[in-house]
Amino acid sequence: MGMSGVALPPTASDPVTQGHPEATRHDRPLTMVALVATNLWAKKARSAGIAFAVALAVMTVVTLTVVSSGLETAASAVLTVGKADFTVAQNGVSDILYSNIDTGQLERIGATPGVKSSVGVLLETERINAANPLFIEIGIQPDDLTTFGVTVVAGTAYGATASKEVMLGWRAAQNLGLHVGDTFHANGTANRIVGIYSTGISYGDSAAMFPLPALQAYNRVPGSVSLVFVKIAPGQSSAQVQRALTRDQPELTTISTLAQAGRADRNLVFLKAAVTGSTILALVIGAIVVGNTMLLSLFERTREFGLLRAIGWGRRRVVWLVVSESLVLALLGSAIGVAVSFLVTTVLEALPQLHGVLHSDFTPGAFWRGFAVGIGMAILGSLYPSVRAANLTPLKALSNE
Amino acid sequence: MSEASTAAPMIETHGVTKVYADGRVQALAGVDLSVSAGEFVAVTGPSGCGKSTLLGLLAALDSPTSGTIRVGSHALEQLHDANHFRRQEVGLVFQFHNLLPRLSTLHNVEIAMLGSTRPHAERTGFALGLLDDVGLAHLAHRRPPQLSGGERQRVAVARALANEPSVLFADEPTGSLDSHSTEVVLALFQRLRTERGVTIVIVTHDETVAATADRTVHMLDGRIDLEGPTP
Repeated sequence: MGMSGVALPPTASDPVTQGHPEATRHDRPLTMVALVATNLWAKKARSAGIAFAVALAVMTVVTLTVVSSGLETAASAVLTVGKADFTVAQNGVSDILYSNIDTGQLERIGATPGVKSSVGVLLETERINAANPLFIEIGIQPDDLTTFGVTVVAGTAYGATASKEVMLGWRAAQNLGLHVGDTFHANGTANRIVGIYSTGISYGDSAAMFPLPALQAYNRVPGSVSLVFVKIAPGQSSAQVQRALTRDQPELTTISTLAQAGRADRNLVFLKAAVTGSTILALVIGAIVVGNTMLLSLFERTREFGLLRAIGWGRRRVVWLVVSESLVLALLGSAIGVAVSFLVTTVLEALPQLHGVLHSDFTPGAFWRGFAVGIGMAILGSLYPSVRAANLTPLKALSNE
Repeated sequence: MSEASTAAPMIETHGVTKVYADGRVQALAGVDLSVSAGEFVAVTGPSGCGKSTLLGLLAALDSPTSGTIRVGSHALEQLHDANHFRRQEVGLVFQFHNLLPRLSTLHNVEIAMLGSTRPHAERTGFALGLLDDVGLAHLAHRRPPQLSGGERQRVAVARALANEPSVLFADEPTGSLDSHSTEVVLALFQRLRTERGVTIVIVTHDETVAATADRTVHMLDGRIDLEGPTP
């Protein structure tokens, strides 16, 4: 035994530690990180339970976010096809495809000061086959194709009054295995493919284009278009033209960014609200689960926290210990949740009932949202237990049975 | 009384009272106590006489209802950071070792150094030195469930010494030990006092344990009723 004098030998070169080289070689100093890891590992079932709860909530939030984001992108992508300065739609419809603009309104849009060109387009969807349950069909006059940004890459454009003629976007043609001269069955009619076109935009290139009167007739909406794509004259202010247009026709709305798509598509607004609501709900439920488990753990560890306070641990250090344990599990659970979400959406997309309908859109935003929810759950859930642990009276806690 | 008791007081209390349960339970009723630096004092008395309450107040684990307490240079009623005081100035040993079962013996000692001013690089070596001092360096990697009761209590003593306190408070440190382990722990206390000059106050209801101290303070009904050197 080496007890000699007031101060003990403090370093690794000390004869005492040299007497136990194995200990000094293999032992790392106890740090907060090591303590957190040890505590979590010691209670594997509890740790796994919390991580699972976080993973479940994060998976729900991320899946909802990527699916809604995919739907939003799909719904609003049509707005990008025309390469316009802004798009005009009917105000407040439930779905942008239900927008209805008549010939008179179309003419007044074209006559609005500052408007260089306006192209009226009818949009419809149709189930072509199991792989294409929501195939987009665009009705547009052949004279407007160039203004709309369409380039015919094979064959020719259809005639203005032609019936039973169609052009396929190159992606659609590729997916369906069709070529110029083949027959494309749509709207209950066998249509001859007269040309293949490109718009440079994936959504437009995955669709089919019909002469406007033909598509209006097929869908029994003569004289109607869904959207009007507007280009403004050089030197004009897009914002001013939009204001003038909506002042003149308040039943219409203008959209110049995808973020504004909700103005003409209330479904998107409802969808976003549902995702936000689900996120908050997942956050609250997850926080309650985490908090409840942490609180149970606190009761189990009352003596431990009492001891830590008794040997001089401050309240902040105790709070940090509990919150850190929770945060580590949250990060682990979030990573699992994001990974499972990726798998779940992949499986959902492959289901026959949802194939072609569900498009997941894994954006960095969805990823960070998942982690934010996980970390939020951890902080919210561990706040009360950690403060309670920190405020334990050492003597009472140590006498806890 | 030992020579140490003639030195400057390390601990002084004046008129210390402690009342619990809205004034219905008076645990301490005016305690005046003086303990010299390096002295080994045993506080004895029947259950409920207030000895553990007094120890808790001396260690700043609780605060008195009235009266003053000074430990070293610290007037406890004026303490701004009781945690810092407990971490740096006093060592605590309890009847139950209160070791964390998932940590190794070595880390159970080191845990008291988290937040201390001792550099990280020195902590493991220092903790190992303390375990060597209590004769348990060879068990540094064992976990508490793998140790005997006496060994666990010796680890608890090593933990109490982790920050080199000037005062060691022990509440029934041998209360759950067999006679052999009791002897080992008491011998350890004696050596701490004689070789390091640590001031030791232990609470015990065991007269044979109290007999190893320099001085015995007997309490009854929240007061000191007998005080004197151990025969």
